[in-house]
Amino acid sequence: MPKKERKIASTRRLFEGEVRPHLDALYSAALRLTRSPVDAEDLVQDTLVRAYRFHDRFEAGTNFKAWLLRIQMNAFVNRYRRVARERQVFDGPMAAPVGEGVMSRSTMRGLTDPVGDAQRQIIAREINRAFEELSEDARAMVLLADVEELSYKEIAEVIGCPIGTVMSRLHRARKQLQSSLQHHAVQLGIIETDDEDADDPVSLEAFRSRKAVKP
Amino acid sequence: MSCKLVRRHLGAFVDGELDPATQIEFERHIEACPGCQEHLAFESSFRVQTRDALGHAQAPEYLWQRTLRRLDEIDQAKTAHTSLVEVRPMRWRHTWPIAAAAAAILVIGGVVGLPNQADYQSAGMLQDVVNLHTQALPSDVQGEAPSEVVRYFQGKTPFPVKPAQFEEPSVKLVGARYITVGARPAAALYYIQDGRRITLLVFQSPDIVRNAQRTHVGGREVYYHDVGGYVVTIRQHGGLNYAFFGDLDRPMLFQLAANARVAY
Repeated sequence: MPKKERKIASTRRLFEGEVRPHLDALYSAALRLTRSPVDAEDLVQDTLVRAYRFHDRFEAGTNFKAWLLRIQMNAFVNRYRRVARERQVFDGPMAAPVGEGVMSRSTMRGLTDPVGDAQRQIIAREINRAFEELSEDARAMVLLADVEELSYKEIAEVIGCPIGTVMSRLHRARKQLQSSLQHHAVQLGIIETDDEDADDPVSLEAFRSRKAVKP
Repeated sequence: MSCKLVRRHLGAFVDGELDPATQIEFERHIEACPGCQEHLAFESSFRVQTRDALGHAQAPEYLWQRTLRRLDEIDQAKTAHTSLVEVRPMRWRHTWPIAAAAAAILVIGGVVGLPNQADYQSAGMLQDVVNLHTQALPSDVQGEAPSEVVRYFQGKTPFPVKPAQFEEPSVKLVGARYITVGARPAAALYYIQDGRRITLLVFQSPDIVRNAQRTHVGGREVYYHDVGGYVVTIRQHGGLNYAFFGDLDRPMLFQLAANARVAY
């Protein structure tokens, strides 16, 4: 085999070895972002082709998975240009205000220590539902931070924004997730409200949801 | 330190993203505050529950196989590309002398080269140009100031990049990025005219016009290639190719390429 071809083959082997362990993570994130297995597959393939082309630009010693996710996020944003529009809604005046205490104490206790597997399963299902209701931007934040466990610096690089912005967007995304969860959990009776908090609602949202459930 | 402050940044605390001094202050406060302890327990537990609930889906095996086949195609294109011309991939920071030498070798390569592979190669490059435009990769440097763009490419491309200027005042430079075309370093310049995107690619490779059609528009020589229903117009100047592609109709694109000031 000529020298050039040997080099191409060895670069290729190296790339495959590096990428394969992250395939599930990429697919999983793609699925959460696109909400469609077909789109997710296309997005992942697109990501890997780009990663292969730009492999020499990866900085050794940095997080390879974060680098792949960054390529994927860029590919996603390009392909589904909706993001820009949604982000405006998310950050703009239409964004629902999210208070600090979106959770009542009883909800918090109920979610901190779920009793039994059944309860855990219901909560997991509810987290999924609440996640699907988030904006694309918020979904990306929760995915990168809580599922992929990237650092704020890595998330900043993936999303292409300052670290301070990651902190506030992530905070808001998590609160939105919790708020949506609490709303449903109370309505479904998974979480009981208690009188202790009833007189002193921690947020308007919580106040309303409690009012809706109580006769 | 107030409970409000602690709870507002509890997420960052759990993530270990606070600076060490603040982290310690938080720990002290939480140790003495049952209310915040409860919040912390919830925040930590909820983190785990979120991860478990949203956890990893498994990628289908055929996706990996499908991807490998795409990579095979890229490798084959690379092999064809490199066996034709013995030019090492150009390094960053090398400028004119190297570029001139490379061009000379390319010309010699052209004489003894295999026409079929050259065809394949330039077809691949043209496809890259079209893909670049349709995929609309984000700019690395934004804005209308050509000097910013010039500075951005210094040390990135083995040739100096100057954004082309257009006679039509409605054409505006909006950004640029470094990219490779058929494994060659290239400058992608993005313009907008009345909401329509125009992509200009600057790169070296005399081969690109070898099988191109040639015409004259307004006294200027313009090469063009038809690529799957699209047309890519090319101007050559100073050993560089300027490939124009955009959401414009055919005559407009020719006009634009012919009138562009690529040397100034």
